[in-house]
Amino acid sequence: MRDLLRHELKLVVHPTNWIFLALSAMLLIPNYPYYVVFFYGCLGFLFTFTDARENQDLLFLSLLPLGKRDLVKSRFLLVILFQLVQVLAAVPFALLRQSFAIPGNAAGMDAGIALFGLALPMLGIFNRIFLGSFFRQPMKVGTAFLKGCVGLTVCMALAETAVFTVPFFRDCLDTPDPEHLGAKLVVLAIGAALYAALNAWAYRNCVKTFEKVDL
Amino acid sequence: MSGVLHVRGLTKRYPAFALEEVSFDLRPGAITGFIGRNGAGKSTTFKSLLNLVHPDAGEVRFFGLEFAGHEREIKSRIGYVPGEFVYYPRKKLGAIVDVTRHFYPNWDEEAYRRCLERFSLEEGKTVSQLSAGMKVKFALTLALSHRAELLLLDEPTSGLDPVSREELLEEFLRLSREEGVTILFSTHITSDLDRCADEILYLRKGRLAERGSREELVDRYRLVTAKEKPENSLGACPTADGWTALYHTGDAPEGKPASLEDIMVHLEKGGEA
Repeated sequence: MRDLLRHELKLVVHPTNWIFLALSAMLLIPNYPYYVVFFYGCLGFLFTFTDARENQDLLFLSLLPLGKRDLVKSRFLLVILFQLVQVLAAVPFALLRQSFAIPGNAAGMDAGIALFGLALPMLGIFNRIFLGSFFRQPMKVGTAFLKGCVGLTVCMALAETAVFTVPFFRDCLDTPDPEHLGAKLVVLAIGAALYAALNAWAYRNCVKTFEKVDL
Repeated sequence: MSGVLHVRGLTKRYPAFALEEVSFDLRPGAITGFIGRNGAGKSTTFKSLLNLVHPDAGEVRFFGLEFAGHEREIKSRIGYVPGEFVYYPRKKLGAIVDVTRHFYPNWDEEAYRRCLERFSLEEGKTVSQLSAGMKVKFALTLALSHRAELLLLDEPTSGLDPVSREELLEEFLRLSREEGVTILFSTHITSDLDRCADEILYLRKGRLAERGSREELVDRYRLVTAKEKPENSLGACPTADGWTALYHTGDAPEGKPASLEDIMVHLEKGGEA
């Protein structure tokens, strides 16, 4: 696993992925649909996967003493690592945003525990769609990303709409921390579990699909 | 079978092309030339051997082992050298090696350093800064640094100038003769094989048309020159002075010996008729 990750970080990851990590600071914007921060993280994968395709990375990896399953694992490790780092990098900015003596986010969900709890399964859905499509047709990175974006955007739109229309979201989740802490922690735990489950499902599916692909 | 590479009935069908029933064995320590015109199926054969594409039928064994279940072991004992190193053009050689070495349990750092010196490769250069010949040498370095017992060379000399080709041919000969490395050398530049091949596999339209030792193959044919296009030849080509035609040795014992290029070109012409 360490060798695969070393390969991803040294040869595959595109600089935009690192730059977009810094966009976690967008949680400091007073009024903004904060889920967009996580969309930027996903956008970085478009650059990375396209660059990797042009570098014939999958072909290079497939000539090393690795099985096809390892090629899938390698790319999953990269995606999950950057998504989790993006979430962790966003935490201090969320805390900082909450410390401002200004009202909560008027454009959608506040930057807090519930935002992360809801963002994680969204990222899981993006991974299931994007990586599932990519490992079916590795040359069609753009198509895979577009499909992933549609899934992510629908989730973001639903979540932000719920903030204005669903009482549980409006009155409980979209409040400054630590109000309703128990409910928010449950949302975070369920979100993290869903993220793990969606990634496990996506990984199994991708291994099965990619085994059949001719390089 | 416990030979270096044992292939039986290898078949891969595409809508517009098919590799049909390719069978051969590689003699340990020998250089086997794999010839055929562009599109004959040489690269498809390599891809099928390496499981990059899924063959429709056939049996492939490396070192007596089936690919399924022994993929890692087999890959750690073979080296694939493409005609051009097309991977990561903007990365430095040192960065690529630093990643690659960790995947090979049999990586030999001393061998790697020797290759760097012998081929005058600099780790600080990027792949895009290398000439075509140096890219092949870098690919060869990666293969030799994990002490590959079998080298699969996919048209390694095709884009090179004569001096670079000569250098590589000398290296292939040294590896075969001094280190006992088995080499499968795909090319359409048959003159390279006149110099160094022990065995020849000739692939034509996806089928293995000829196989055997280079001497045997060359002895099987004779080239005849004539003013008019000869009848009943295996293939004829026009020249400035008339025609050259290829015959089986028994049909034209007076003909002059044919080179591998003569044999391939004339058989291909004969196949068009």
